[in-house]
Amino acid sequence: MKPRHVLLAATALLVAVVLTGPVLAGDAALRTVAPPWSPPGPDLPLGADALGRDVLARVLTGGRELALTAGLSALTATTVGAALGVWAGWSRSRAAPVLTAAADLLLVLPLLLVALVAAVALPGPWAVVVGTVLGGSPLTLRVVADATRNARYTGYVEAAVGRGEPTATVLLREVLPAHAGLLGADLGVRTVLAVQLAAALAVLGYGPAPPAADWAVMLRENLPGMALNPAAVLAPAAALTLLTVVVAVAAQRLGQGRR
Amino acid sequence: MGALLRAVALVLVASVAVFAATALLPADAVAVRSGGRVDGEQLAQLRAAAGLDRPIVARYLDWLGGLLTGDPGSSLVSGRPVAELVGQRAPVSVVLVVGALVLAVPLAAALARTRGPAVGVLVVAGAALPPVVVGVGLAALLSGAWQLVPPVSLLPAGRPPWSRPELLVLPVLTLALPTAAYAGGQLRGTVADVVARPFVRDAVLRGMPPTAVALRYVGPLVAGPALRVLAVSAGSLVAGTTVVETLFGMSGLGELLVAAVRARDVPVVQVVALLAAVVVVAGLLFADLVATRNERDR
Repeated sequence: MKPRHVLLAATALLVAVVLTGPVLAGDAALRTVAPPWSPPGPDLPLGADALGRDVLARVLTGGRELALTAGLSALTATTVGAALGVWAGWSRSRAAPVLTAAADLLLVLPLLLVALVAAVALPGPWAVVVGTVLGGSPLTLRVVADATRNARYTGYVEAAVGRGEPTATVLLREVLPAHAGLLGADLGVRTVLAVQLAAALAVLGYGPAPPAADWAVMLRENLPGMALNPAAVLAPAAALTLLTVVVAVAAQRLGQGRR
Repeated sequence: MGALLRAVALVLVASVAVFAATALLPADAVAVRSGGRVDGEQLAQLRAAAGLDRPIVARYLDWLGGLLTGDPGSSLVSGRPVAELVGQRAPVSVVLVVGALVLAVPLAAALARTRGPAVGVLVVAGAALPPVVVGVGLAALLSGAWQLVPPVSLLPAGRPPWSRPELLVLPVLTLALPTAAYAGGQLRGTVADVVARPFVRDAVLRGMPPTAVALRYVGPLVAGPALRVLAVSAGSLVAGTTVVETLFGMSGLGELLVAAVRARDVPVVQVVALLAAVVVVAGLLFADLVATRNERDR
């Protein structure tokens, strides 16, 4: 199999689990059906978790909210970073270098502290959004500003400016589409950051409230019972691996201009 | 000199940001500690006693003055001096971070030097994995399947971390592997460029041993970018200690930070967070200094 086919198959599996998992599992993810950390058996292919709930059902249910949160965070971070970056790269205003410097400053702050404070102050998913924007947008801004600065002197942009197109049209129809691959890769990298933040916050006790199923929270809940039912930990770990690796590898290929 | 000034300015800005962030925490330590059992008037009295009723700028200046004179204040929860708490917890985190760096640097160098698309995918995947997943996977392998090391490192209080080296295996590996993947991935392009240069090819054709080529010709050219990547990695290692220490039950600075945020123990949060920022800034400063020296030498 070619690498491209492996990537496509993994993506399909991931999308299928995230989209149809909650429907397939129904409310089985919340019912106690066996003694805590029962090992896998005929009825429970992956055994039971800390409260005797079906691990397979919880793995099927636990990805949707995480994927939604990560996607929303990444979309916000890339949009904010790209908008500010286009402005910083295009504008000749003196505020542009100030903005770039301020964005660089954000990168020195301990990101996890920012996320922790956000997690205490805001309900679960919003802390991930805030953390991803503060930790990711400055990097997007820098990359997009560089790309915009370079695009300024290309023939197609100079032609559009010469035709008298309004600046907004030039930026939206000429500059940004030329960097679509860059933005797509950026979106992927921010998604990975968001998943990592969500997982870290879940381990530290700021994840989605119980009894909701969530891959990262499952790791925290079932680690003490790893000797009894390793699948209760390894299954969500495998799901998180699939999610982050698929997104990261796809982002890298987009960034290199390969599909 | 300019680099040093910029580093000091960065630390100052970080101190303002850390202070502002902790001031934003909803419900201060007084409210968390009393657990809603006291009325508003008593709360106000307790706040005044703890100095929490004064304007934020005055509190910041007091705090900064205290830091500069070596007195970062006392914990709002236990009343013990912050310096003592940090001093007690620091060895664990320092051993974890230094151990992870010692392991990650040669591994990253090996990954950066190895060509081939498989290694390219490996470094991207390795850097993308959340540290928790790496930690859980390693625990399942090393202590679950192979029974080599204990799964949770309950270090006896007051014992230095190096007294039980087998407890350090899982946390250090958990920190080191993603860092090596990230750093190796970041440097692959740079290393490939340098290796393709004529003087490196000539040295190889002359029959110079690969290690000598790496140390003499490739190393110095890669040093600048490598140190920069290392500084960023050190920052993420420091952040990673919070997760790893919580996961494996080690009482270091990261775990202290998490506990202090939960208890709204603001003086402790501020000092630990500022320490993390200082590590990053110091790393970047060092990378800058080496890069400027390298340029001057050439």
